[in-house]
Formats: sequence, structure tokens, C-alpha cells
Amino acid sequence: MIELSEVTKMYPTTTGSNLVLDRVSFSFPPRTNFGILGKNGSGKSTLLRIIAGIEQPDSGTIRRSGVVSWPIGFGGGFNGSLSGEENCRFVARIYGADIDDVVGFTMDFAELREYFFMPVKTYSSGMRSRLAFGLSMAIEFDVYLVDEITAVGDARFQKKCRRAFQERNDRSSVIIVSHHLSTVRDYCERCAVLRDGKLLCFDSVDEARVAYEAA
Amino acid sequence: MRGALTQLQVIHALLLREMKTRFGQNQMGYLWAIVAPLLWIGMFAAFYGAFGRLAPPGTSVVAFLTTGIVPISLFKDTAQRCMAAISSNRGLLFYPQVQPLDLVLARAVLEAFTHVLVMLVIMGGVALYEGPPRINSTLEILAGLALASGLGTSLGLVCCGLSVYSSTVDRLFPSVMRVIFWLSGVFHSIESLPPRMRDLLLLNPMTHVIELVRRGWFPGYGARHVDPGYVLWWILGLAFFGLSLERTARRRLELT
Repeated sequence: MIELSEVTKMYPTTTGSNLVLDRVSFSFPPRTNFGILGKNGSGKSTLLRIIAGIEQPDSGTIRRSGVVSWPIGFGGGFNGSLSGEENCRFVARIYGADIDDVVGFTMDFAELREYFFMPVKTYSSGMRSRLAFGLSMAIEFDVYLVDEITAVGDARFQKKCRRAFQERNDRSSVIIVSHHLSTVRDYCERCAVLRDGKLLCFDSVDEARVAYEAA
Repeated sequence: MRGALTQLQVIHALLLREMKTRFGQNQMGYLWAIVAPLLWIGMFAAFYGAFGRLAPPGTSVVAFLTTGIVPISLFKDTAQRCMAAISSNRGLLFYPQVQPLDLVLARAVLEAFTHVLVMLVIMGGVALYEGPPRINSTLEILAGLALASGLGTSLGLVCCGLSVYSSTVDRLFPSVMRVIFWLSGVFHSIESLPPRMRDLLLLNPMTHVIELVRRGWFPGYGARHVDPGYVLWWILGLAFFGLSLERTARRRLELT
């Protein structure tokens, strides 16, 4: 379970400060795949980073129970001079997971073949995000935080990602931030729209659509 | 408790990663880390021989130089590596359980391990050459190295925090290190210096560290002025300042 209370975050800009999250209080429903819709620059990635614990809010608190992933999506957090395999070993170690299991699963899932053993800096951006996604699937999280899933791979690989999420639906849930209505509709049961620093919640994706498109 | 365990897990993982990225894929890279200080000591020993300079009574040239150069290079390398710990590992802060302090500590541990290994290699070499060593106190040698490592880490932490605000730190660092190097009695026993000079050198905590290591190594080595407590105060002061800097720097790191 993840619970935000009175979370506020602002960034200084040249013309004063930009209020990205304005006293957001929200409790994510347990075992529910949840989507957060927002236009570019609305602060959805910031929200996800705060949920993950990489960034601290200026005020307010976050309570998490269970193991929450890092924001999955773009291939951040890899060392370019190490191979995909070595990066997997590192992440397995910091999460206390079985190294061989994680390496085996990721190698299988990411479909990088011989590139898995080559430095990550030789990868294309698609290969990087496949590695990032495979690796996050290899570790058992209770909540997966996903930043714009459409960035990962081609249609076939995306199908595989969706299947992987469905397989672990009874054990874990997903929080996705996106500016694509279709992504949220495909993955999520409930959703919210992030607008002007406030999180507006809806029981169905269709209700959210009206508010999102009006924004 | 769980937090401490995670922390150890993270530092262990960072340590292994650091070895890979720093020394490359083969063991030869790490060998170089050990050989470099040996060459350094060998070079100075050759100078001593060429100019007919003698080590203080009760010591041999190589051993005397080792007790100076190993602690000072442990201190300097640790400070230098720790200073750059965050800037060269920014990507890792992407994982929530990796904290800036872990990056610093992992590097400090690796430097300490390497220098202890260097120390052991030299002690072994000296033992082969001069016969079984008569070590005064292994505990004092280890305590000296631990203090050198602590000083390097806490200074590195301060520089690391300051370098988030200003790049002046990176530019000043080598000059400051050079001053510390020449004022720490690497090539002299402070007992042989005039009192005013000696008192000046005793302000430098590294002087105490080096004298402590020497007292531990050479039986009958005077070192009446060594005060480990003084070094400890330096470490605590720097660590306190460094840790509070790190807290404020963290917020700044998010923005860039």
C-alpha cells in the first residue's frame, strides 16, 4: 500500500517557483493497477520519483508497505562500461535477490543475445529499455512503478510486457504514469489525472478521459 | 536493523562494481593498484641510497619510508576518490536504496583494503630481506591506518558536499594535499626537528597518524607526542560537517 499525505513539491525557476505537487493526499487502492494521466510537464514523472523514494517532497509524507520498484521505463541507472549481465548482478545484489535467477530471467526476457555480455554503452536505446524492463521483471516487486510504457520496444515486445504484468497480477500491482489514454486503458482498472499540482481521481478510465481531454 | 542490512548489501554491491569499473575486467588492473605505491617507495629508497641519507636509528630505509608513504597515500587517495564519489555515480542514485553516503563509503572501504594489502606485501618483503620482523604493536599500525582512512573519508565527504556548490574545491584540492604531504613528517621523524617546527607539524593530524604507525612498527621508536585522540576529533568534526553538507546537497542534486 502506498499513501501520500499533504505532499508538496516545487522547483525554482527563473520567474519564481513552479508548484508541481500541491498538497497531494492520496491512498493508492491495494492490488489495483492504477494509471496517472498528465500532459507533458504536469509533474507525473516527479510524482513517480517521489513515490519511488528517489526524490524527497518539500513537505508532506509518503508511507509505503511492501517492496516498491524504481521508476521503470527509460534505461537509467546503468553503468555504460559494464555489460548488461554485470549491471543485472549489481541490481540483484542491492535488492538481495538471487543473482543467478535475476541474470537468467533478464537474459531470457530482454532478448539481447550476445549483447547481454557487452558494455551497455554499445546498446541502442531500445535495447537499453528492454534490459531495464526485463531486469525489473526479474525482481519480485509488490508495486511496479512504470514511466510511459510505450517507450519500451516494438509491438511484439510490448505484448510480452503486458503478459508479464498479467501473470503477476495476483501478487503485485502497477502504477503507470502516461500521457497516452490508451496505455492507461490497456493496463489499469482505475486512474487519476494530474493537473495544476492536484490529483483528481476517477473510478473508470472513461470518466477520466473527459477531464483529461478538457485539460 | 533491516535498514542496516540493506545498507551493507548496497555497500557490498557498490564495492564489487567499483572494482570492476576501476580496475577493468582482469586481475592485472588491481595488481597495478598495489604495484604503484611500491614503485613510489622504491624510488624514494633509491634517492636515500644515492645521497647517503640514513633512516632514524632502529629503522631501515624501506620500512621507514613505508610507514610514511602508505598512510599518507591512504589518506590522500581516500579523500580524492570520496570527493568524486557522487559526481561519477549519479546514475546509481536512481535506485531508492542507494544513498550518496553509500557511494562514499564503498570507495573508502576499497582504498583501505588496497592500502592494507600494500602494507602487508611490503612487510612480507622486508621480512624476507631483513629476517623475521620485530613488530612493536600490530594494533597500533592498524589503528594508524584506520585513522588515516577515517581522516580521508571525512575530508572526502566534506569536499564531496562542497563540490556540489562550487568547482573551486576540485581546483584547490591538489594544492592543499601537497601542503599536507610536506607538513606530515613523511621523510623525517618529528623527534629530530627543532621544537617550533615540530609543534607546527603536530597541528597536522596526519603527522600523528604517521608517528603512530611508526611507533607500532619499530620497537623503541620514541613518538612521545602522538595523540590519537586529537586525530579522532578531526575525524568527528569533519564527518559532522560533511554529513550535514550532504543533507543539504541532496536537495540540490535533484534539481540538476
